Amino acid sequence: MKIAITGGKGGTGKSTIATALAYALSNKKKVLLVDADVDCPNDHLILKMERKKIKTVTQMIPKWNFDRCIKCGRCSEVCKANAIVFVQGKNPIFVPEQCSGCGACIIACPTKAISESSKEIGTLFSGKYDKLNFLGGELRPGEIASEFVVSALMDYVKEESKEKNYDFIIVDTAAGTHCDVISALGGADLTIAVTEPTPLGAHDLGLILELTKILNIPTKIILNRSGIGNNTLIQNIAKKYGVDIITELPYDKHIIEAYSKGEPVKSKYIDDLIEKIYETKPETVKK
Amino acid sequence: MKKIAILSGKGGVGKSSIAASLAVMLARNKKIIAVDCDVDASNLALVLGLKADAFESWQPVQTSEKAALVPEKCTHCGKCKSVCNFGAITWDEKKGEPIFNELLCEGCGACQLVCDADAIELKKVENAKVGFGKTKYGFYIVSGQLNMGEAGSGKIVSVVKEQAYELAKKEEVEIALIDSAAGIGCPVIASVRDADYGIVVTEPTPPAFSDMKRALSVLDHFGIKYGIVINRYDINKELTEKMEKFANAHDIPVLEKIVYDKKFVDALVNLTPIVTYDKKYEKIFSNILAKVLDHL
Repeated sequence: MKIAITGGKGGTGKSTIATALAYALSNKKKVLLVDADVDCPNDHLILKMERKKIKTVTQMIPKWNFDRCIKCGRCSEVCKANAIVFVQGKNPIFVPEQCSGCGACIIACPTKAISESSKEIGTLFSGKYDKLNFLGGELRPGEIASEFVVSALMDYVKEESKEKNYDFIIVDTAAGTHCDVISALGGADLTIAVTEPTPLGAHDLGLILELTKILNIPTKIILNRSGIGNNTLIQNIAKKYGVDIITELPYDKHIIEAYSKGEPVKSKYIDDLIEKIYETKPETVKK
Repeated sequence: MKKIAILSGKGGVGKSSIAASLAVMLARNKKIIAVDCDVDASNLALVLGLKADAFESWQPVQTSEKAALVPEKCTHCGKCKSVCNFGAITWDEKKGEPIFNELLCEGCGACQLVCDADAIELKKVENAKVGFGKTKYGFYIVSGQLNMGEAGSGKIVSVVKEQAYELAKKEEVEIALIDSAAGIGCPVIASVRDADYGIVVTEPTPPAFSDMKRALSVLDHFGIKYGIVINRYDINKELTEKMEKFANAHDIPVLEKIVYDKKFVDALVNLTPIVTYDKKYEKIFSNILAKVLDHL
């Protein structure tokens, strides 16, 4: 069973819950935790876990052979990312930070003056915490194509899970609703949206529920830090989208302490949560 | 016009709360505009007490295109699938035709270029809305909201900024305050790359510390000056000390340390910036601004 932990708003407790859930499950089951927040990966910090570099993620970028270039400007014309600047009569100028790696320029060039090259944009890591298995990705700062790192990670997860037959794959996504999050949610059997009872939590929860509706993934809500603001805000959104609040986690100092020390949270609330997850998908998971 | 960007790497450290209070304080002495560049989860207007339906206008924007098949022209060659670098094209074995996944399609047009039969069209799609409104604190805010499941937050951020700068020119604005999204990827880079100064908000937790460093490397990459604000510094004083040492060693100004105070949540629930909710914070935010303006 693949469970994605997301939430829209940042800092609502996604990684804390993802690591706690994965760790608790790994006592009895074969579990893989996937940190798909490649912009700001944190799960290894919460678990104080050494990660091992397993793969470099590269992005295709074009390379020009100016001997063949006839200065027609076609490459610049087709580039929707504005990564190629062309001035009549001059060689095209490439702006690597803007390049999305689509390869349209290579196809469009009439004289085959452009070929494929690549640049490093990120890294994939593996790790182990007690019995819990881990895979994660990390974007190189200054690069824009985080979605390539996420999809490279998810491809790796797919390959590895074929061999390893995990009972649970827990995917921790980035904040937001952008392409990184969409990639990370792909193929999930259940999405858990972690939110907090503030107007911002409620607003962003609505957005993520809109997204999981479009992606057609069963979704549950965790109301984290229950009671710090106004729980009704979240209950209203849950009602509007017809999504259940699977559990409410109270604001708890122990959780904050464990978090700032770098330990997975152990709590009866997480055990309850696991019970409830079993209830949602009894047909695919055996206790 | 000077541009100050607020970012954090990690989400939920108080970026929008702090941005809102900075905006309110700054607006007392300067002509400003607030720009919410978190187009995935735009929250700054809310913190300033302005709900989306109270905006003066919302305009749909089209910054993206999606590939679509013209089935009668398809020669079933499969070239389109082989050139798509975004995994947006799968193959329908029965029909021998490509299937386009709109959510993954970047609209780059590579498939259209490679198709000899002219069987692929690119259709413009409305993928976001951009709007502006006047806050009760007297300044304008420009926000964007990406339509659900649409890609290209970076491009929307650019549109939000363009519109904000246009409005700023008309209003003779002196300072634009830009609130970026969480993370360090495409939308964040689009938010900060032309900034004159970056305020990086963090808190003393290992994840926020690590993400702060990643945010700082992005600013370094683009040669932008910056300072940091350590929010909720008293939840882990030991780590705060470490962060200050790090800042010292790298010549990074610590603009302010802010205590953990439940009033921040209360202020948020009341859709009020903390400086208006509790006047004692005015001084703290003035201090931050004085230092930032000094660096500009």
